[in-house]
Amino acid sequence: MTTSHPDQIGCYTVHGKTQFYSVKRTELDRAGVQMARTLRSFAFKPGAYVLTVSVVQEVVQFAPFEFALQLLGLYGTNADLSPFDAGRVESLARQFDPVAICGVGNEVLEGLKMMGHDAAAVFKGRTVWARPDAYDAVRAMPGVAARRVVLIGPALALECAKGGLHIDGREWEVVVDNEELVLSSRQHRIDPVSGLKTGFSGRLTDMPCACGSPDPHISLDGAI
Amino acid sequence: MASNAIIYPDVLDPIESASREYLDRHQEASLAVMCEYAVANAPLIRKVWADAGVKPGDIKSVADFREKAPFLTKDDIRAYRDAHNDPTGGMSVDSPGQTVSVGTTSGTTGDPTPVPNWRRTPAEETYARDHWHIGVRPGDHVCHMLFTFRGGHRRRSLSELGIAEICFSISPFEIPRIVDASKRFRPTSMSIFPNPLINAFEQYFEKTGEDPVDVFKSYKGAIFGGEPLGDRQKALTRSWGLELFETTSLGDVAGACECREHNGFHAYEDIAFIEAVDPITAEPVADGDIGELVVTSLVDRLSPLVRYRTGDLVSIDRSPCGCGRTHARFKLLGRATDQILVKGRSILPREIMGLVEKHDETRANLFQIIRADREMDELKLRIGYDVTRLKDSEDALKLRLYERISVAIEVPLVLELVDEQELLKLGPPHKIPRVTKT
Ligand SMILES: [Zn+2]
Repeated sequence: MTTSHPDQIGCYTVHGKTQFYSVKRTELDRAGVQMARTLRSFAFKPGAYVLTVSVVQEVVQFAPFEFALQLLGLYGTNADLSPFDAGRVESLARQFDPVAICGVGNEVLEGLKMMGHDAAAVFKGRTVWARPDAYDAVRAMPGVAARRVVLIGPALALECAKGGLHIDGREWEVVVDNEELVLSSRQHRIDPVSGLKTGFSGRLTDMPCACGSPDPHISLDGAI
Repeated sequence: MASNAIIYPDVLDPIESASREYLDRHQEASLAVMCEYAVANAPLIRKVWADAGVKPGDIKSVADFREKAPFLTKDDIRAYRDAHNDPTGGMSVDSPGQTVSVGTTSGTTGDPTPVPNWRRTPAEETYARDHWHIGVRPGDHVCHMLFTFRGGHRRRSLSELGIAEICFSISPFEIPRIVDASKRFRPTSMSIFPNPLINAFEQYFEKTGEDPVDVFKSYKGAIFGGEPLGDRQKALTRSWGLELFETTSLGDVAGACECREHNGFHAYEDIAFIEAVDPITAEPVADGDIGELVVTSLVDRLSPLVRYRTGDLVSIDRSPCGCGRTHARFKLLGRATDQILVKGRSILPREIMGLVEKHDETRANLFQIIRADREMDELKLRIGYDVTRLKDSEDALKLRLYERISVAIEVPLVLELVDEQELLKLGPPHKIPRVTKT
C-alpha cells in the first residue's frame, strides 16, 4: 500500500459547489489535538456527554471535534443533521443531559417544531454550537449558551467560551482577499489546499483571545 | 493500487475459516469468561443471574450454559432502565478509557437505546470482514453510506486496513455525488445500500440516461440492508451488474452478512454465540428448525449481552459453507410475534408474500394475517387487490388465490378480499401491519 492512499474522503462546499476532499486519519487526529485547546475553555467535566449533529460526509470537519471530546474524557454521541433525526436530538438531550450540543442547523429546528418539541426547552442549560443558518434563532433562546460553529471549506471554526471563533492556525493559513477569507494548508496533507476561496467574508482578529488558546480567531461578516 | 504485488489472504481474520472443532472449543472458553465478566460488571446481568440463582462458576461447558444461563429480554432492559433511570438499561459497563463514544440504535419504536463504543466495535469488525469477503483490499475505495448515530466520525475499521471510505448520507440527494465518486475513484464495494436508494438510482438513470453498468463496473458487490430484499430490486441491481449482499443485525451484538453463496446470513461465531429456542417454551430447537434467535456476545466488554432473546425467528445451519468459511449461517424468517401456528404448522408473513404477489391483481403484496391467537384452527387472510386490474370477477380471483395458497401451505384456509386502497389507509405499502388481531 502506498502512503498516498486516503483514509477518508469527505467533502466541503464553497459557492454552492461540493468537492470531494481526501484526508488521512493522522490529519484528523492532529486537528483534534489542536481543537481540544478551544474546547478546554469550557471546562466541561470528564464523563459528561456532548452531542454532535452532523452528517457522515462531514467527517473531515467533525472527526477532529469528536477526537477532541475523547481526549478530554467526554462522551460523544451523535444525531444526523436532518429534520427526520431531530427526534433523536430531543431524546438524547433528555436521556443523557449533555453539557453541549454541536452542529445544530436549521434542519434540527424545523424537525423539532414538526415533531411538536420546543427547541428552547431541549437546549436549555446547555452550550449549543449552532451553524450560521440557526445561530440567530438559538441565540434568542433564553437560558441557552449559544456559540457558533462554521464549516469553512475543509476546516471547522469553533467558538470558545470567551467568544473567539477559532480556526486551527497550525494547520491553516487564513488571509483576506477582497474581503473573502482564503484558506491554504500549512502542513503536509494528502490533499493540499492552496488559496481556497471559502465563500465567507470576514476579518482576522489580531488580539490574542481571552480563552488562552493561541489559535487565531476570526470575525465573520457573512457569506459572499 | 493496481501495481501492488502483495497477495492478501482470503479471510481477514483466520478465525473465519477455523475448524468446527476449534470454534466449538473457543466458544466454550469464551462463554465461561464472558459470563464471569458480565455478572461481575453489568448491573442488569448480575440481577438476572441472582434472580435465577445461577453463578458464573456453574458454567463450565456449553451444555451447562444452555441448561442454566438465564435469558435476557428487551423488556428486562426497559424495566431496568425505567426503575433505575439508566438509559443503558443496566447493560453498560462503565470503563473509563475504554468507551470512546456512545452510539444509539435506530429507535423506530420509542427512545433509541445507547450502545457504548470501544475503539473498534464488534459491528465494525464484522463490517470489515464482510467487505473483505466481497473482495475489497488495501488500496481500494468503498462508498460508505451511513447515519452518524451508528458511531459518528470515529469509525476506522476500513481505513486502518488501508481502504479508503468515501463518505455519504443515506439520502436520494447524494445520488449524483455517488455516481461521480463511482466514476472517479472506481470503488470496489458500497454499504449500506437500502431499497429507497435503489429506487432513487433507477429514477436517476432513467432521467439522465447515464449507463448503470458503466457507473458500477468496478464494484465487486454492495451490502444491502434495512429491510428484506425484494425480487424486483434484486433483478434491477443485477441488470446493473451489481451483486447485492444482504446484511442484518445479529441481535444488536454485531452485524451478519450474506456471503457469495447467498444461502443465509453468516454469524461470526467468535464474536457471538448463537442459539435458537422455541419462542413460547424457550426449549432449544435443533439446527435447521425454526426458533427464536438468542445471542451472547463473546467479545463486547462494554455491553456484554448474555443469552439475549432477539425476537427474530431463524433457522440455523452450522455446516461448512461453500464460501470456505466455517461459521454458522441463519435464515431470517420474521418476528416471533408474527408467527402463527395452524394445526401445528408454523406460518410467517414472508411465506404468504411470495404467493400473493404471483397474481396480477394482488402483485402489490398487500395482505394481513388475522391472528386472534398464536394457535389457530385455520389460516385467515385478508388480501387487498387492485380493482382496476381485475381480469374476471372477485370470486374468480378469490378461487385462484385459494388454490395457490392452500396447495402451498396445506392448512384450512379462509380468505377475505378487499379493495387494496382499504389496506393502504393503514400505512405505506411496506409498513402495513402484516399481522392483526381482527
Ligand atoms: Zn459462506
